Amino acid sequence: MAHLGVLATLAFRNLRRQLRRTILTASAMIIGGGTLMFSLSLGDGTHEEWIDSGVRMGSGHVTIEHPRFRSGRKLEDRLPAAARDAAEAVLRSPVVAEQVTIASAKLTVTGMASSAAGARPAQIMAVDPVTEAAFGTIDDQTVEGRYLEPDDRLAAYVGVTLAEALGLRLDSRLVLTAQDAQKEIAGQLVRVVGIYRSGVPEIDQSLIHMPLTTAGEWLGSGEDVTNIGILVADSAAVSGLVRTLRTELREPIAEGDAAVIGWREAMPELAAAVAIDDFGNYLVYGILFVIIGFGIVNTVLMSVMHRHREFGVLQALGLTPGQTGAVVLFEGLSLTAVSAVVGIALGAFLTWYFFGDGLDFSGMMDEEMTFSGVVIDPVIIPLFRPSRFAQSITFILFVGTVASIYPAIRAARIDVTESMKFDR
Amino acid sequence: MTDPTSPAVRTEHVWKTFHQEAEEIHAVHDVTIEIARGEFTALAGPSGSGKTTLLNVIGGLTRPSKGRVWVAGRDLTEMSNPELARLRLEQVGFVFQAYNLLPVLTAMENAEFPMLLQGIDADERAARVGELFKRIGLDGMEGRRPGKLSGGQQQRVAVVRSVASKPALVLADEPTANLDSAASDALLDVMRELNEDLGVTFVFATHDTRVMERCRRLVRMVDGAIESDKVRS
Repeated sequence: MAHLGVLATLAFRNLRRQLRRTILTASAMIIGGGTLMFSLSLGDGTHEEWIDSGVRMGSGHVTIEHPRFRSGRKLEDRLPAAARDAAEAVLRSPVVAEQVTIASAKLTVTGMASSAAGARPAQIMAVDPVTEAAFGTIDDQTVEGRYLEPDDRLAAYVGVTLAEALGLRLDSRLVLTAQDAQKEIAGQLVRVVGIYRSGVPEIDQSLIHMPLTTAGEWLGSGEDVTNIGILVADSAAVSGLVRTLRTELREPIAEGDAAVIGWREAMPELAAAVAIDDFGNYLVYGILFVIIGFGIVNTVLMSVMHRHREFGVLQALGLTPGQTGAVVLFEGLSLTAVSAVVGIALGAFLTWYFFGDGLDFSGMMDEEMTFSGVVIDPVIIPLFRPSRFAQSITFILFVGTVASIYPAIRAARIDVTESMKFDR
Repeated sequence: MTDPTSPAVRTEHVWKTFHQEAEEIHAVHDVTIEIARGEFTALAGPSGSGKTTLLNVIGGLTRPSKGRVWVAGRDLTEMSNPELARLRLEQVGFVFQAYNLLPVLTAMENAEFPMLLQGIDADERAARVGELFKRIGLDGMEGRRPGKLSGGQQQRVAVVRSVASKPALVLADEPTANLDSAASDALLDVMRELNEDLGVTFVFATHDTRVMERCRRLVRMVDGAIESDKVRS
């Protein structure tokens, strides 16, 4: 242990000895560390925004549904009452409830929407108006009228493109047709109470919201639902929740009555987009830190070359080659560690600074951008995740260690007698 | 384990051969020598006579090509690099021509460096270095960095560094080569005093006549071999 203190003293004093070189390298690493931390937060914020937009428009971070529902969206593939009861009981249990922000039960079927002007295929989503208003974002995108209310019965909330195609206005009548629980075609007359614009063409031209009670009576499905969408506060918690729900609902799952699906499985295009974006970001970070790594190699190696004689003296005085290498490694690591902490603190500050209003990129976007049912918000709010602290520091220390290994080996392998020749 | 009754140094038919292209150069040529504890010995000879190489072999800084070397009764020949480092730390002190103090450490820190590596506690280190500094006229210079000391003062710090950890022997390679005559004389007086009062074994590699004159034993080397070995009465 005495050695460790000596090696640390030597390392710190040698860094201070070449102050300008140390400051230059540290500055590069601080900027790199700050950029890494801020970019990760920005990337996380972007992805969380995409995911949030996608899951609120879709089936939630997690959905409990019939195993066949996703492939056919037929009424017959709805959750049996026992499975729904079990799911709702699990969602009320304290362990699960504390992770869940909101759960919304829905009955979704494919059908037709007809008016005097024509007919269009439609995704009819029957919901509880209060729960769905808290679950989704579509209620905030009203361009005319209002969203569904608890007392509504024969009400429909339609997308702007569908309304235009069917010549619908507020209070217009609309007939919805779909296969009912007896596999008969059944129709239901409803009135338009609101028109929305989500920005996603597929949604605006087909999705209709209506009250769940009305749909139950119309389709003869009573209180049954096709799926229960669940939202959590942070998408990073999804895999844990999926595991918990699969464990708790193992009986209905085993009987083929229910399936628990996370958003990555439910929205593979969105998951792929996040993964590709992450990969691109990590590639850039990798290149950035390879360059910074060369900077560290240069600083530490130059320091080793200039101190050949000193390393010879250290070994003559009794330091082993390994301990001599450790002095160099210590220098590289202390330079890296201090720079990493300062850089990451800088990145965390930038994250905090932009956390309130976010970074507005609307000037770079001509119009509303969407993909895979996700509306891209031009204002990116960075997301701070404590785990990014640990990841960034580990990554930077790894780069610092790798970059210091070669100079350390050079120092350990010096020829003691050659290094101390007087004319050197 | 070191043997306190064994000589400070013993070599047996030591060769050190360097290869330069196809040519073999015998820097040390079949040297057998024994240096008892407490001796004040000079290895003298012209440049290229092999005295520094022999000193490096004895100090475990380089391995002999042939033959065996014992320091304080321990055979260096079969030792691993870490074992050699440990032996140097515990049994050998070095004084170099170019002082070779560590520039980032103060005079005090340089002097106590080997003891720090040995794990000797701070009070003991301070006591030993303090006494030696006082004895050789470095009192008050403990906090100075090497760059703020004269050549003679730096070399004295190097001498303190070499003896403070109480090694079995001190190897001094041309210690006076960079010093003026006054500084050289003062340094040699100090070393002689340490030898006489504390019984420290000194082995010099030198071609400085002042050093040779002060040594009780003079070993002359020519072309890597011992030409003569005389003990003054």
